[in-house]
Formats: sequence, structure tokens, C-alpha cells
Amino acid sequence: MKISKRRQFLAAGGLAAAAVGYSETLGRVAGKLLGRDAPRHKTAGDAPAPEYRVDAQGNLELNPKQQVSYTTCLGCTTMCGVRVRIDKESGKVLRVAGNPYSPLSTDPHLPMKASVKESFIAVSALKDKGLGGRSTACGRGNAVAQQIDSPYRVLTPLKRVGPRNGGNWVPISFEQLVKEVVEGGNLFGEGEVAGLRALRDLETPIDAEQPELGPRVNQVALLSSVNDGRDSFMRRFMNKSYGTLNVFGHGSYCGGSFRSGTGALFGDLKRMPHGKPDYANSEFILFVGTAPGQAGNPFKRQGTLIAKARTQGKLNYVVVDPVLTHADNRAAGERGRWLPIRPGTDGALAMAIIRWLFENGKIDSHFLGFANAALAKQNGEPSFSNATHLVVVEPKHPREGRMLRASDLGLALPEDQRYKDGDAFVCLDAAGKTVFHDQAKAAAQLFVDATLKVGDQDVRVKSSLQLLREEAMRLDLPAYAEACGIPAETLVALAQELSAHGKKAAVIAHGGMMNGSGFYNTYALMSINALLGNVNWKGGLVANGGGFKDDGEGPRYNLEKFPGMVKPSGTPLGRNVPYEKTAEFAARKAAGKPYPATAPWFPNAPGLTTELLAGGMNGYPYALKALILWSSNPVYGIPGLRTRIGKDLADPRKLPLIVSVDPFINESNAYADYIVPDSLMYESWGWVAPWNGVPTKSLGARWPVIEPKAAKTADGQAVGMETFFIALARAMNLPGFGENAIADAEGNAYALNTPEDWYLRGGANIAWLGKEPVADATEEDIQLSGVARILPLLERTLKPEEIAKVAFLLTRGGRYQPGKDAYDEENAEWMRNPLKPMCHLWNENVGGSKNSLSGKRNRGCGTWSEPAFADGTPVRQLYPAKDWPLQLTSYKSALQNPYSIGATRLLAVHPENPVLVHPDDAREFGLAMGDRVEIATPGGSLRARVMVHPGIVRGVAAFEHGFGHRELGARAHRIGGESQPRDERLAAGVNLNEIGVLDPTRPDKAPWVDAISGASVRNGLPARIRRV
Amino acid sequence: MNAHPDLSRRAFLGRLPVVTAGLAVPVAAVAETKGPHWAMLVDTRRCIACQACTIGCAVENALPEGDFRTVVATYAVRTPEGRTGLSVLPRLCNHCEEPPCIPVCPVGATFKRADGVVLVDGERCVGCAYCVQACPYDARFINHKTGKADKCTFCSHRIEAGLLPACVETCVGGARVFGDLNDPESEIGKRLKAAEGRTRVLKPEAGTQPRVFYIGLDDQLAGRVAGASATEMMWRPTHAGA
Repeated sequence: MKISKRRQFLAAGGLAAAAVGYSETLGRVAGKLLGRDAPRHKTAGDAPAPEYRVDAQGNLELNPKQQVSYTTCLGCTTMCGVRVRIDKESGKVLRVAGNPYSPLSTDPHLPMKASVKESFIAVSALKDKGLGGRSTACGRGNAVAQQIDSPYRVLTPLKRVGPRNGGNWVPISFEQLVKEVVEGGNLFGEGEVAGLRALRDLETPIDAEQPELGPRVNQVALLSSVNDGRDSFMRRFMNKSYGTLNVFGHGSYCGGSFRSGTGALFGDLKRMPHGKPDYANSEFILFVGTAPGQAGNPFKRQGTLIAKARTQGKLNYVVVDPVLTHADNRAAGERGRWLPIRPGTDGALAMAIIRWLFENGKIDSHFLGFANAALAKQNGEPSFSNATHLVVVEPKHPREGRMLRASDLGLALPEDQRYKDGDAFVCLDAAGKTVFHDQAKAAAQLFVDATLKVGDQDVRVKSSLQLLREEAMRLDLPAYAEACGIPAETLVALAQELSAHGKKAAVIAHGGMMNGSGFYNTYALMSINALLGNVNWKGGLVANGGGFKDDGEGPRYNLEKFPGMVKPSGTPLGRNVPYEKTAEFAARKAAGKPYPATAPWFPNAPGLTTELLAGGMNGYPYALKALILWSSNPVYGIPGLRTRIGKDLADPRKLPLIVSVDPFINESNAYADYIVPDSLMYESWGWVAPWNGVPTKSLGARWPVIEPKAAKTADGQAVGMETFFIALARAMNLPGFGENAIADAEGNAYALNTPEDWYLRGGANIAWLGKEPVADATEEDIQLSGVARILPLLERTLKPEEIAKVAFLLTRGGRYQPGKDAYDEENAEWMRNPLKPMCHLWNENVGGSKNSLSGKRNRGCGTWSEPAFADGTPVRQLYPAKDWPLQLTSYKSALQNPYSIGATRLLAVHPENPVLVHPDDAREFGLAMGDRVEIATPGGSLRARVMVHPGIVRGVAAFEHGFGHRELGARAHRIGGESQPRDERLAAGVNLNEIGVLDPTRPDKAPWVDAISGASVRNGLPARIRRV
Repeated sequence: MNAHPDLSRRAFLGRLPVVTAGLAVPVAAVAETKGPHWAMLVDTRRCIACQACTIGCAVENALPEGDFRTVVATYAVRTPEGRTGLSVLPRLCNHCEEPPCIPVCPVGATFKRADGVVLVDGERCVGCAYCVQACPYDARFINHKTGKADKCTFCSHRIEAGLLPACVETCVGGARVFGDLNDPESEIGKRLKAAEGRTRVLKPEAGTQPRVFYIGLDDQLAGRVAGASATEMMWRPTHAGA
């Protein structure tokens, strides 16, 4: 069994260098014979003393020099509960592991009633407790604490010197920062800049001719990254107090197409509800463009559960992806398998499966027949669908593509209530009579193609299920197989496998959907779940349990509303509203040519950061006057954006004011006029619920377990997002901040002058939610958990009866429903916290909308159509394979995220991201392992190193995300005349987004996005490669 | 900076130890002694190659960047059935019963304790690296900072405090199981018994009697990667006759 390293093994893409660092030391032996710095301990080397000891009797002895605290990680968007071990004297984080109370780090997690002492013992070696109760941090989670001490941190307010993106800054005082940002003036010797005070005009319309755009305050926008538990504070300032509509996160360049496609299935394209397979109980899961163990959210929990399920549980799974991922493990044999697919063709796979389910009578007709929730429940189904609801398909009918409603059949409703929630859908009962969906008493007809008398008109209608079946039958299996490159027999086998497990099978997708038909690919894939009838079933597609609301009209404090609160209005800059309601449309229609619009509109999308900048910098639909970037890095993250607007961003005449709040200088805020430091990782406050994948209620607490490093304001507060916005509000005398800004349940008013004024009161709301408030923290809990450090803040801010309860949350790093509550009390096969929305096999908002460039009607159900540009032109029509023989795709790293490059311990394991190329392609293009190549798309080219790798589908080159930085330390900036240190390691590798494709069919030539979801396209870019 | 591994072709391929896997004989070799005998079981089926162990270890032990006491070597392999997949090999010091590193040490710095842990006395070590070369598992190195022989200690400072090794604490997949071989009721004892006949150690022919056991090691090491093509990499369901 000797293993030849050349012939039998290739290091896998993810972790090529792992073995190197380990063995490379051999080569260093000769030069390292003499000791330099003697290890601190004879046999334990430089390891610090343990944080505590647990003796054989279970007695706990603390190390008085260290603190162990439970808070939240921010190494990715999962935000796992972590235990942070700190050296008290230096304030340095020694190591990070998991919080055993948090289901994001532990399976099963500890009940809240366990004391902090018990939680310490639960992760110890005592009676092997720490094996079953293991609470972990991932590779990145272990490393990112390094960022806190990074030499590249911004610790004082900075003002640019010289041109934007010039890398030259001068530190300024907090007072100067606030004054200049608020009042404006000739700030840079380049002319007058309007400050935030002048820009906050809540009255004057941006354009009197287009009143729908809203007031001028909308010309100020904020881009954030992710809700890290601080989002609602930011929104209180930006939306409710300052008053702009334009505040958006990173979703549209993260997994937006997945969210939109799933939102279509669940009938809400703005909030986009979604679910995850019940890993612990599923018998078969089809992962498409998502890979548990590789990345995704919740990264670690998925990895833990999949590892357990494939080893001890019943689960088999298939991961469909152009790239081999860490979801695969040959040691688990056939339990988990990789199925390569061409990028962007997942809809063909999905529709093939759907076709087979229809053709073979394997859809769950029992589930699909029930037209409302109550009827479904009576019949043993914990969810329901609109399979039987009728859709108007009559050509040219004003309601074509929309659901037939009760009012269409004569139900009397006031006009403003027609086609809203109270206007029922219509089905045909078994006798063929129309019945309103909410009055159906038995299963309705599944397949309907009929003509009904609507008013005095004959109108053709079809059921949602009928439309999906027709769509699936449009192509046959060989055609679907041809499109996605997966043999028809394999497609059939997948369908068989799914139907064999029915409600204990699930289909899930995510980031792989960021392709040129991502919305429909997702909608088709996720619709399979509805056809299997698996929603809310143990083992099926299940809901996130959600969190505990800190920022609402809570039981203790009203953090939702305040006197003088602004309700922002107008048209969002991302144009995620119907074009047909704009003044532009009316004018063009009057001129006889309503389409195309000046740039695409996305009525079925959420707020779009992808669209905001290119539009806002070019005045469409209106001009951006000031931009705040809060931990946001769209220039790095949006494919093609730098190419499109890099020059514009550098030009203050195009966008007069850019302010960033960020602990680092990234590729986007390098263009800022001011950078305000922010708290980082374990320095911050916040309350944050899991994004998905935890079936029980769960809320992580973030609290400053270490002292924030940033400079302090005059009153001793660390400069950060909260203190900056509080200061801006004070300077402009805005509502919702300062004295008497927060009301309690009795109507007494309290100040909002510090971060803890907000977060601790949010904590009080959380503590009092539910049947009864949480218990009180004990003195021991407070001492052991390090909460003692901030106890004076609790005492100063909270009511006496609230202190120990909020402390209870902080000592345990959040609030968590017990794991045993995952399933319904009465029916153990149902989930307790269900996905409430109806499954929409037809979505009328999509089906009733039109492409704003072509004027063509959008399809209202899952479908397969090849990746296309904004007006529907197939990509391959403009960039054919003969000129662009490869497709580029991206995949998420198990180690790097877009902002972790400075955690150099990660680089020691995995120093760069060579581009993966299949061995057959390497042969064809004359490439060998390690060659330098030029990779070009229609959007640009870059140079990279290739790794010839069998774990990729032929015809595709794959980029791991997270490398190719120009900033975050890759460039040394000058601050106050001093240069930052140089560290070329941080510039390693390449970023696919640098060569994103601009959409040639768009009049505004903006970056390519999915035509429905408005989400970035980074998978399936036409490309060519050559050795250099 | 010396922490930056080189990016040569050698780096891409990774330097692999010549490992073979053989049936483990997990008898408690020192069962007659009273105290614990520490060992590790790695269930590779549960490893997701996230490198939490790798980095958790490096942080816990304050290793210079670029030095590792444990890593998860990760390979793309072709199985005999023609599938391309991922194989993982978490590696660390095997804390052998017959450690070849001990007799070669000229100053007696390397020793094996009664509890089974093999350690290096940093005060005695002269950094000659004989032990590094003697280790058949490539588990030892000369620490960049101290100039001393270095390797996994099973986090001896933590187990003495009643805690688990850092890599075990933070193993996301739950692949690493650590415990007392002398205690049949211990988790590792029970798991080894349950997996009897299916556990392996690395290079049994070296006669070192490792005390790091593996589940799932044999199949993954039987693969070949040469000439993989996309079609051959396809998953085909067994019941479809493919």
C-alpha cells in the first residue's frame, strides 16, 4: 500500500500548501540549529497557561490572569457564538473556541439554565464531556482574532490628502470629522462640498417632474455589509432619523439570486423567506451550488451536522457543483457524492427532475391538493401551496400572468382592497366548480386548463401546477442533459432518489446561483421541495427558528419608534420597483415606445447594491450626493464594478462626499474622503440571530469583551459606528437620539447618548420576551464570564430589576431555545417553528411583470433558460464558445472571506488561490501545473497561476474567493506622513470580480446581473486562457 | 518573513510522507499501570478539512506562523470506481509506543511519559534535528523561533489541567476523539472497540506502534488520480447500473 505522491495524489485546491508548511521545516534545519528564544516552558513551549483547571472531582479552578467570555464571531456572516480567552493584563486575545450555549457552535447546545461554571466544565476533559459537548471555532474563527492587533487598523478618524484613492491620509480629531461631514465647505480645496446637514432635505423633491423619486435626502445612501447585530442601530439613524430610503446590504453580490428564487417560491420577493434541509433527519439531500463543509451559512453548523449525518445518521447526499468541495469525503464513501455540472445550468437539472416527477406520478398530490393552510393542517400537512390556484393566461388580458381572484368573479371588495391579501385566490373543486381558496373544504383539482366566465368575458385560466408541468415538459430529458452536461440517466436517478425519500428529502442551493439565469435556476430547484411536499416536515425543508427581537416595541422599551421619526419615501436607487410606475415610462409610452428603459428595473428584487452605484453616479434615476460605506466593500465584491465606476468614484464632481466607517482601508473606502474607525470583532455590541439553519430560536450577544482599540471621543467613548452617528444626530439636532429618545413600556423617556443606552435596553427587551423573563445571572456567572468588566455600564444604564437578567444574556453570550424544542409538541414529525408562507409554484408578481428593456413578459414559475444578459439575449450569442472557450466560476473558500486576508495565520496554511483548470483543458490549452497564465473575459484580463486539478468540470476555470486584494494591507497607505508596513503576502492571488463582465445589452453598460434578481453574475463568465 | 511557504510546483503538489495504513492493534500496551494512557482516534469520515485543528493548535501553542504541529492534508483522489473525490489525512505526532525519535536524541531531550505522551524538553534540546529526520511521520520540525525540536504535545499543559487538546476542542466535524486508552469506559475506548477491525495506524510496518488511530483511512488511500476526465468524475447511482 505504498503511496506514490506523484501519480496517485494531487493536493486539492483548497489547501494545497497545508502539507508544505508542515514538512518544509526539514529544509530549514541546517540554518536553525541554535536556539534563539528559549521556549517559555520546558515541554509546553510558548503555550500560555490554561484558562482554568478542572480536577477529577469536577472542581473548577480559574486562572486569575485570564478571562473567558462568550460573545459572537464576525469571521464570516454566520456569527457563531464563541468563547474568547483573554490575557487580562495585556488585553490580548489568546485563543477563541466555541460557545457551548450556541447551536451555531455546538450540537447539541447547552441549555441556558446551565451555569457558566457548568458550561466551562462541559467543554473540559472531565468524563469526556468535552467530546460530546464539543463547541468549536472553524479555521477562520480560530485565526481572525489576529485582525484586532493588525497594523492596518484604522484607529483614528482619517481625512484624505490629495486625490481619492491616493493612499494618503491625515488623522483628524473626532470633532473636526463631525463638523466637516455635517457642515461641508471647501473641505479639500477642490470646491464646495455639501455636508450632511444641507443634504437632509425631507421636503424638496429631487425632481419636480418625477415626484415618485422622493425628497432630496434620498441622494444620501449608506451601504452596509451584513447585519452583524448592529444593523438596527444604523437604520435608526439613516432611515428613521436622517431620513434616507437608500440603505442596502451586500446580498445582491453575495447570494442574491438564491434568495430571490426562494423568495419567489415563498411569495415574498422583498423579505425572501428561506429554509434549509433538516440535516439531522433528512435521508437524502441534493445540494446545488452550495456545499456543507466548504462554505455557506451557517458554515460550521452545516459542517458539523453533515459530518455526523453521513457517519452515524441516515443521510445520503449529492453535491452538484462545477467544483469539487469539502462537502466530499471519500472516507464516507457513497454517503456523499460530487456531481459536476456546467455553471449556470442548474435549472436544466431541476426541470429534468420536475419533468420526471410529473411524468411518473411522483409529485406529492396529497399535499398539493390543499388550497389553504387550515385545510392542509386538518389533512396532516404542515404547509400548503398554490398548486391548485388559478392563473389568468388569457393573452392580452390586463391580468395576464396574475392569479385569478375572488373579486374577478364578482366578490364585492372596495377597489383599494382588490388583489390584496383579502382577495381570495380561486380553485376548481373536484366537481369543476370554482371555489375561493380560503373556503376550500377538500382537495381541489391539481391540473386545470379551462375557460371561465369572468365578468362578461371568457378568460382562459390554468392552475399553477399545470403551468409548471407545461414548463417542465417543454424540453425532454436528453435536452436537459445536453444543457447541463449530466447524463439523462443520472438526472432520472436523482429524481428517483428524491421521490423515494419524499418528505425526508430536500433540495437546497446558494451561492452557485450567482449566474446568468440564477433566479430561475433557484426557483426551479426550490420548487422541487414543494413537489415533494417536504416543507416543515422533520427531515424536509425547514425554517430557521429566528431570534428574539431586541429592537421592536419590546416588553421593556420601545426601540422601534420615537417622536419625529421619518418614514422614508421615494424610489430606491437600486430601482427595485416597477418601471411601469415611473414618469419615464409614462413619457416613453406617450411617445409610442415604452421599452427599453434607460437602464433595467427590478420590481421583483430587494434593495440592490449592485445597481446603486453605477446608477447613482450617473444620475439615473437620480444622482447620489453623499455615500456612507459602513464595513462595505462593493468595489472588491461586485464583478465588473471597478471597471465600470472606478474612475467615477475617484472624481468628487461625480460623487461629492464619501465617508466610510470601517476598521480597515478596503478596496472601496480607499476612495473615501473620510474614514471613521469602527469597533472590530469582540470589541462590539450587538444582538444577532442566525441567518438560517437553526430550527430553534437563537440569538447571539455581542458585547465588548475586550476594550475597543479605537481613539476615544471627548466623553470617553470609543469612536465607532454608534458614537459617530450619535454625534451626527446631535450636531444636526435629529430626532431619536440624545435626551429622552427612548421610551419604556410605561412611557418614561431615557437618553440615547452611548452605544450601551441602545444595546443594553435591547437586551432588556430580549430578556423579557416569551412566557416569562429569563433567570437572573448569579454573582458567580458574572465573575466567571468576564461580564464583571462591564457591570458598571449595566448598573448605570438599566433599571435595577433588569441588570441581572441582561447580565444573564451576556454571561451566556445570547439567548437560545432548547434544542429539544425543534419539533412540534403535538406532532413530532413537524417542525415547531414553521415556514409560514404558502409555496408558490406560480408567482404572480414575477409572472405579471415585464423585462424593462425588451418589454417581454417574465415567466412566473421555475424554468430553464440559458444564461442571458439583461434584455434576454443569451450570453453565448454575443460571446460564443469559439472565441471564449472557457467559463469562469467562483467558489467560496473554507478559509478566506473577503475581509480576512490580514489574518496571516490563514495565509500560512493557504497562501494564495491558484486558478483551477481541468487536466483535459490543461492539455488542450498547453498548460502545466503552476504555469502563469493570462485569463481574459470581455470585461478585462488578469494574470494568475494555474492549478491543474481533476476536481473541476471540463471547460471551466475556477477562482476561490477572498484573495487578489489591492487593499486591507496589500498596499501600504501613508497616514500622517508615516507609511504603513509593507506585507506583500496580503496581495496574494487573484479576484474574479476584477474581470467581471459588463452587460453589452444594457444601455448603461453596467455590470452583468441576473435580469430578475439584480444579483451579480460571477459564475459562468465567458473567458479564454493563455500561458504567459 | 519566513512564514510564507513557497509557491513552487513542489508547493502545489505538497510534500507527502510515504504513508501506508495498517490495521491498528489498539490494545492497552501499558494496561497494568494505574494512570491514564492518552491516545487519539481520528474518524476521517467526519473531517471537513476546515483546518480548525491546524490553526487552533498553532494559536494555542503560540507557534511561529508557518510552523504546524498538526495539519489536515487534503487531496483530490480518483477512486478505483473512477470517481474523483476529496481525501483527508489529519496528521500529528503519533505518540508512538516505540518512538524512533527517542534513541537518536544525543542529549536525551525527547522522552515518553508514563501517560503515553512523547515530549521534548526544550531546555535540553540542542536543535540538532536528528529526531526530525528519524520520525517516519514527518511530525517533527525545528521551531522557527526557538530553534528547538517541536511537535504535537497532545496539549500536555491542557490535559494536565483536565482540559482537552486544542485541536480536539475545536474539531468542527467531531472527527478527533481524545482520551484514556486504559479506561474501557472512555469515549475513545468505546469507539475503538466499536470500530474493531476497521481502525488503522500509519505505517504499522515501522514498528512504532502509534497511539493515533484512524477510521476510514484505508479506502481513501487506494485511489489514483491520473487521467481523470469530467465524464469519469460523474456520480452515477449504483442502482441505475452505472
